[in-house]
Amino acid sequence: MRFDILKTIYLKEMLDQLRDRRALLSMVLVPLIAIPALMAGMGVVITIIEKKAEDQSKTLGIGLKINSPEIRQAIEKAGLKIVDKPNLKEAVEKKELAAAVEETAGAAGVPEILYYVDRSNPTSETAGDSLRTILTELKDSKVRQRLREQNIPETILTPFSFKRVNVAPERKMAGAMWGTMLGYVLLLLMFTGGIYPAIDMTAGEKERKTLELYLSSPAHRSEIVLGKILAAMTAIFLTAMLTLASIVFSIRNGGLAGKNPQMQQMLKTIPLDGHALLLIVLTLLPLALLAASIMIAIAILARSFKEGQTYLTPLALLVIFPALIGGMPGLEFTPPMAMIPIFNASQVIRSTLLGDLSSTNFLITTFANLVYAGIAFYFASRRFEDETVLFRT
Amino acid sequence: MSSKAAIQVNAVRKTFSDKKHGSRTAVDGVSFEVFPGEIFGLLGPNGAGKTTTLRVLATLLKPTSGTAILNGFDIVNQPSEVRGSIGFLSGDMGLYGRLTPREVLRFFADLNRLPDASKRVEDILKRFAIMDFAGSKIDKLSTGMKQKVAIARAMLCDPPILILDEPTSGLDVPAARAIESAILDARKRGKCIVFSTHVMEEAEYLCDRIAVINDGKIRIIGTMDHLREATGKHRLREIFVDLLGLGDTGN
Repeated sequence: MRFDILKTIYLKEMLDQLRDRRALLSMVLVPLIAIPALMAGMGVVITIIEKKAEDQSKTLGIGLKINSPEIRQAIEKAGLKIVDKPNLKEAVEKKELAAAVEETAGAAGVPEILYYVDRSNPTSETAGDSLRTILTELKDSKVRQRLREQNIPETILTPFSFKRVNVAPERKMAGAMWGTMLGYVLLLLMFTGGIYPAIDMTAGEKERKTLELYLSSPAHRSEIVLGKILAAMTAIFLTAMLTLASIVFSIRNGGLAGKNPQMQQMLKTIPLDGHALLLIVLTLLPLALLAASIMIAIAILARSFKEGQTYLTPLALLVIFPALIGGMPGLEFTPPMAMIPIFNASQVIRSTLLGDLSSTNFLITTFANLVYAGIAFYFASRRFEDETVLFRT
Repeated sequence: MSSKAAIQVNAVRKTFSDKKHGSRTAVDGVSFEVFPGEIFGLLGPNGAGKTTTLRVLATLLKPTSGTAILNGFDIVNQPSEVRGSIGFLSGDMGLYGRLTPREVLRFFADLNRLPDASKRVEDILKRFAIMDFAGSKIDKLSTGMKQKVAIARAMLCDPPILILDEPTSGLDVPAARAIESAILDARKRGKCIVFSTHVMEEAEYLCDRIAVINDGKIRIIGTMDHLREATGKHRLREIFVDLLGLGDTGN
């Protein structure tokens, strides 16, 4: 391996990629603009939907078929409009009413209040929540009144009290939640970000008829493969770093939390300090090398850019599964698991944010991914020696 | 012309096999020699084995049997050294559209580890009158401009051997003339040139010796005079038609 030749190949590939708008789009634009916009937009959209549902639940109205005037008064007092409809259930289904309350004869002469909601409709769901609160409060107040009439103290209803105490610090809760999300988004974008450069440098070269001259130069095939893999790795790693920077920025500025102050507070506890970021970067480097090697080894088999996309798109989708499994509750990250490629990286990211990453798991993950990258490099090199692959038409 | 051959091709055979098409011999025991200062033309119809022969010589394909010595290096055992001795050009040109001519030439100069690469690149840009568009992206250039860059790239390292696979394919007359001039100039400078074509006039005009190839086999090899003598025909087109058994075309 001659490093001056390797450097020449790497720099040429990088220059070629950086001049390509489509490569820049997947490498830079998606992580830097689309991801933060999507995340910030999610909070805004949820807020708008909630506000709209609340407003509509008041304007659309509640249907009533009840004997108790107290319920009607309580609903009116809560600011909900009452609308008359002959068939309450049907009116809720047809979205003519936000929700409806109907009184029926219950068991042992106790009246039963049914309230109809369409849980697939946020407006109806919000109206239903309001009705539940109104009915619960009314029921409690009636119980208290009856106890007072019987001269029985209200404390009889509370023989003991209980309270859930969460021993997980807020930081850990945030780490568990965002660790899974971060691993998932990073891995997915790394693999999708690498698709275009990997195809362009292999099947794209075949299609543009540039590969033949490349191969007739004095550069060794292994130097050409490694130069291309390193360029693809740079593109993949750049995508990962820009995604990470976007997410860290969004978290630091509360962009992911919307206007929810509790969520904002929780996000600030996420341990994305220098040490955590360094661990994530060190995990992603061998993973980027592995992803680049696999993609180049596969993409060189394709005859055209289109065929390359057919081969590599399923690979990017496959990455979703190990990343998703990594987020399953109760899953313990053990040293044997650290040998499972892709999954191991998602687990290291999650453990880093949880603050419980063991050095053994980190080292096994890094080493395993380097070994797998080496194997993929070997296969990619073999493909570049195979003239039936290089000159397929 | 020097007495020692720059290219010695010895019984090269190349067979392709795949599950779909079975086994197919593209080059069947081809042997020839090309000397420094000589233009050698491989003439044949489409699918005759010209490109495969040249790809084998350029070490892009490994021969199934036989071998060739280029500039003293064996294509099977010393492919890297062979690649350092040749300038290869195909009709597709194979230029990187997103790079500029200067960047492409610099890239290949560095791949060949040329000493004083910057100066060599600037010299060749001047020699082939590329300076005016040396900083423009290749995608934006005309076909003639691209062809100038492609031939400049092939001659950049001043290799002793030029392998040109249908270099004028798809070019208009002025662009083809530019390539032909470059080939004749290279001969003057003692280069050994082997090129393939199916354009009879081009072969007749440029080549010192011609080999007619069909079905992977060389049907005849020699100077135009030798070809005329052997076939009793005068024009290369007639010789070609006769050798391939295509019947009388009336021309």
